[in-house]
Amino acid sequence: MRRSTILWFLIATCLGVALFMVKHEVQQREEQLAALHRQILASQEAIHVLEAEWSYLNRPERLEALVRRHLNLVPMDNQKIGAVELLPMRLPPAGAIGDMPVDGLAPTLAGGPPLPVGRPLMLTRETRR
Amino acid sequence: MRSRGDTVHLEGHAKQAIETGRNRLVLAGCLVGLAFAAVGARVVELSALRGHGEPAVATASPGTDLAVGRADIVDRNGLLVATSLRTPSLYADPTEILDPEDAAFRLSTVLSDMNPAETAAKLSSDKRFVWLKRSLTPREQQAVNSLGIPGVHFMDEWKRIYPQGSLTAHVVGFTDIDDRGIAGVENSFDDLLRGGREPLNLAVDLRVQHIVREELARQVQTFGAIGATGVILDADTGETVALVSLPDFDPNVAGQMDPDSRFNRATLGVYEMGSTFKIFNTAMALDAGTVGMRGGYDATHPIRISRFTINDDHAKARWLSVPEIFKYSSNIGSVKMALDVGTEGQRAFMAKLGMLRETAIELPERGRPMVPSPWRPINTMTIAFGHGLSVSPLHLASGVATVINGGIRRPTTLLRTDIPSPGERVISERTSRDMRRLMRLVVEEGTGKKAESVGYMVGGKTGTAEKVGAGGGYKRKALLSSFVGAFPMHDPRYVVLVMIDEPKGTKETYGFATGGWVAAPAVSRIIARAAPLLGVAPVNPEAPEIRRDLMIEQPAEGGKRLASF
Repeated sequence: MRRSTILWFLIATCLGVALFMVKHEVQQREEQLAALHRQILASQEAIHVLEAEWSYLNRPERLEALVRRHLNLVPMDNQKIGAVELLPMRLPPAGAIGDMPVDGLAPTLAGGPPLPVGRPLMLTRETRR
Repeated sequence: MRSRGDTVHLEGHAKQAIETGRNRLVLAGCLVGLAFAAVGARVVELSALRGHGEPAVATASPGTDLAVGRADIVDRNGLLVATSLRTPSLYADPTEILDPEDAAFRLSTVLSDMNPAETAAKLSSDKRFVWLKRSLTPREQQAVNSLGIPGVHFMDEWKRIYPQGSLTAHVVGFTDIDDRGIAGVENSFDDLLRGGREPLNLAVDLRVQHIVREELARQVQTFGAIGATGVILDADTGETVALVSLPDFDPNVAGQMDPDSRFNRATLGVYEMGSTFKIFNTAMALDAGTVGMRGGYDATHPIRISRFTINDDHAKARWLSVPEIFKYSSNIGSVKMALDVGTEGQRAFMAKLGMLRETAIELPERGRPMVPSPWRPINTMTIAFGHGLSVSPLHLASGVATVINGGIRRPTTLLRTDIPSPGERVISERTSRDMRRLMRLVVEEGTGKKAESVGYMVGGKTGTAEKVGAGGGYKRKALLSSFVGAFPMHDPRYVVLVMIDEPKGTKETYGFATGGWVAAPAVSRIIARAAPLLGVAPVNPEAPEIRRDLMIEQPAEGGKRLASF
């Protein structure tokens, strides 16, 4: 009788302590979570402000003024824009230039596939001037 | 006391009483036991059996997303155009203020724009709440805090910030002090912006917008103009890539703006457009089939109707083919073309092109076209060369997009759209192809030569309209000089419109202030700068496939044909 009473008392105490610890832990974690949320919100707000500042600093007007002051950039000349097709293909090997065949194909090298000869660059009216 | 072993035998009356008592006890015990069993069963059910009663994974409490006052507005590349920032606002509870005079004086020492007398009056009122200043800077907040005046408090408020300043003023508009949109997109999407968190994605490209604005400002300055407007539309989707109206304002300080600068010339202003309307007139005649590309009209004599005389500015005084009428911008030829289509045909065509109603653009500032009523034959004649029907510049740009994109009219929009609306057909694809050739001809050898930008195959039409004066007549000196064009003309992708309001000729332009001298050079520069950003590659104008696409036959009277490119 006395023994079992002590046993039950011990169990109850242990459970009580465990319950308290769990509750304390949960409380602590919840506080931590809330702190993290606050931190996230603060960071998000900071990002928001920085984004606004970033786009303010990236105004085309300002960038243009900075470029004019510090760099040698000029608006792109559209004559300098080309297409990949305008690039000459790889030149035939140096030794083969002498006997260039007329059909537009470089001589084959020991049975390899024929290499196309570079197309001359197309000149526009403007570049010829 | 009896010993434990003894049993008590009660008889009769006493036994019955005890029996009753026991029965009652058993009954009560049963009831209590049942109640406990029910509670126990419920505990088991809740904790062990009902797994879905509580989510298996705890989720973070809501509120991790930043709740901003209004959603952001971004351009087509995601750059911020408008955003909301939290700023402290200063208010006071006058009942807590001890000495209003002193408090007002001390506040005015740190807040430069505060009037001590006014503030003192506010502070001595018997209200519980008065605003002192909205949206302080962090520095001002610090200064006010260090004054330590009791009864003065801060409240966080969301303030609308426009990092791009006046660049997108007329598109984005602005909000009032209580964050309600009162102009531009801020007004037309007010509900969406207020509730939403997703940024509103505009079709405007800030880089292109900047180029247009800068080139317009340069023309305004060079020619002493009172204003200008520029529009770039995506010909195939109706998206507004740039929309500028000068003079403009800084929406961050919208309160201090000049009322004239608030006027959106691109969408709200309606003007008689002048010769640029010949694009529609020619398209109408070609589409109706009343004249073909090889046909023409006699433009020898001016047309007299009642007290008006319709004459040509670049008079050739001979028979002109349709391409020539367009190239030399012949009023006489255009009027004859329109008369062949007829008044009803013209009205129906203009309605189909959307010229008689407001544009679909998502702005509160939309101009209603001034349509003649009744539509008399004299109106038909004047509308042929762009007088008598006033539309906004955006109407013009959107009409040109319809004419050159294959003949499909799509509503103009300020929002970025991935799937364009199906639109409705206004003219045939064949007419559209012919119009591309004609517009290219104007830039190659007509009035719009200065709009050429090598490699981009610019095509378009110049227009110079005299503005209607206060008395009703036309003012010869107040011009609206415009150029509306598209590029690249063999496969048009963008429509560009530039209109300069009341330019004055300079020595460099030999005193001319017409569309070809004032607006066309701006278009050329805008295209040269913006095309690489818009992803349009320059082409070789001599390439055979492009020559074929834009080739035009200019028949002379009597059947001799001159091929022109």
